[in-house]
Amino acid sequence: MDYAFFLGCTIPLRYPQLEAATRAVCDILGIGLKEIHGASCCPEPVAIQSLGIETWLTLGARNLALVEKMNLDVLTVCSGCFETLKTVHVMLGKDKKYFDMVNKILNKIGYEYKGTSKVYNIAEILSEDDIIQKIKNAVSLPLEGIRLASHSGCHLIRPSKILEFDNPERPELMNKILSALGAEVIQYSETVTCCGYCARLNEEIGDDLCEIKFTDLEKNKVEALITVCPACTSQYDLHERKINRDREEKMEIPVIHLPEIMALAFGINPKSENMDIMKRAIRPRKLLEKLKIKI
Amino acid sequence: MAKNQDIIKSTDLMSDLRYQITNQIEGKSLLACIQCGVCSSGCTVSQYIDLQPHRVVACLLLGLKDKVLNSNAIWYCSLCHRCTERCPKSVDFSFILALVRNMAVKEGYIPPEYEVSINAVLQHGFTVPYSGDMKKTIDRNRAKFGLPEIIPPKLDELIFIVKETGLEKTLEDAKKKKKRG
Repeated sequence: MDYAFFLGCTIPLRYPQLEAATRAVCDILGIGLKEIHGASCCPEPVAIQSLGIETWLTLGARNLALVEKMNLDVLTVCSGCFETLKTVHVMLGKDKKYFDMVNKILNKIGYEYKGTSKVYNIAEILSEDDIIQKIKNAVSLPLEGIRLASHSGCHLIRPSKILEFDNPERPELMNKILSALGAEVIQYSETVTCCGYCARLNEEIGDDLCEIKFTDLEKNKVEALITVCPACTSQYDLHERKINRDREEKMEIPVIHLPEIMALAFGINPKSENMDIMKRAIRPRKLLEKLKIKI
Repeated sequence: MAKNQDIIKSTDLMSDLRYQITNQIEGKSLLACIQCGVCSSGCTVSQYIDLQPHRVVACLLLGLKDKVLNSNAIWYCSLCHRCTERCPKSVDFSFILALVRNMAVKEGYIPPEYEVSINAVLQHGFTVPYSGDMKKTIDRNRAKFGLPEIIPPKLDELIFIVKETGLEKTLEDAKKKKKRG
């Protein structure tokens, strides 16, 4: 199945290693990714939405109009992009006044937004039953005995009436994928605790929320935290380093993007042209040792 | 007895404030609020804000515009959307808060971080700078992984959208207001 691959900003420009792992995994699973030429920032659901709803909707609809021209559905790898594009799609589908307003502007620059392309997040596609079977077949290095915890993040699961993705209070889809990799999936109380990245106008909020999360992960002897959103990924990675600064005994719970941990289980060299798992503040040394991977 | 400054006079109430929300996309759910407080009890940032979510809604319904716009609650929201998720009356509070932030922006309150984001989108097409030396470094990093070339958007299209949707003028007006002090 082919999808229009919506990259966004953070992954292609800041973390190309995550894009590489995503492409490698999709290639193995037979998920076709087609490039969207001329896509802009989704636009991101904090600053741009806060400045002007009409601007946010119209910029989002422009990106979706580009995808519609390709006659494909869109696949996002960032939860922020997923939230924006799916919300724009659902809201404009319900509100004729805004649908017309957006198109009136887009028409003047040669675009038309119809609402025909569906919006998916990569975790949604990867957790479909037939893909889960393909994942099981592709695993060459089962993550047996590795204690993994998932963090779906907020913008993938809530509000569920719009995103229609997973259980909003007890998400399960990521765990389904991690189980298919052979890992031991850990249930922990702070599963749906927000990473605090979007509350960045008050730094204390992110500091406190990350402390709560890591305290729980440590208590549960989690060996890696698996995320799907680049914002959650960097927020946790950098905050873990910050927490470690004041501690004698350092934590080593690497924060790993879902396609990266899949690539690892598929036997892809973790430091190659397909991925670079060492590019982070908290490196997964112990994890690689346990899996007997030398880099 | 309440102190004088605590007493709200009916003349201070802006009777059409609620309609400034309800006439916008997804804003109508505001009117369904029953003040049960479920939104506030599950709010990720409740201990950091000076006006709890259900009180923000009450102020919007009453017409207390300044109280809402002067509250840190509208900026400290972590967008976890638990309020919207759990509301028994389907009030989309986290989205309504975005409409309130739009209102604050029109009054000239613009967090500098947000201005950086929109300027980056207008100059590069993305929130991450992608031109000149930055572009060279990014392209080099992408080439290491054999990733395809990025075809950025036509910036004049984005500038046109920002202008036509009124954001360009809002940002200019805010700058003038700031200059006047």
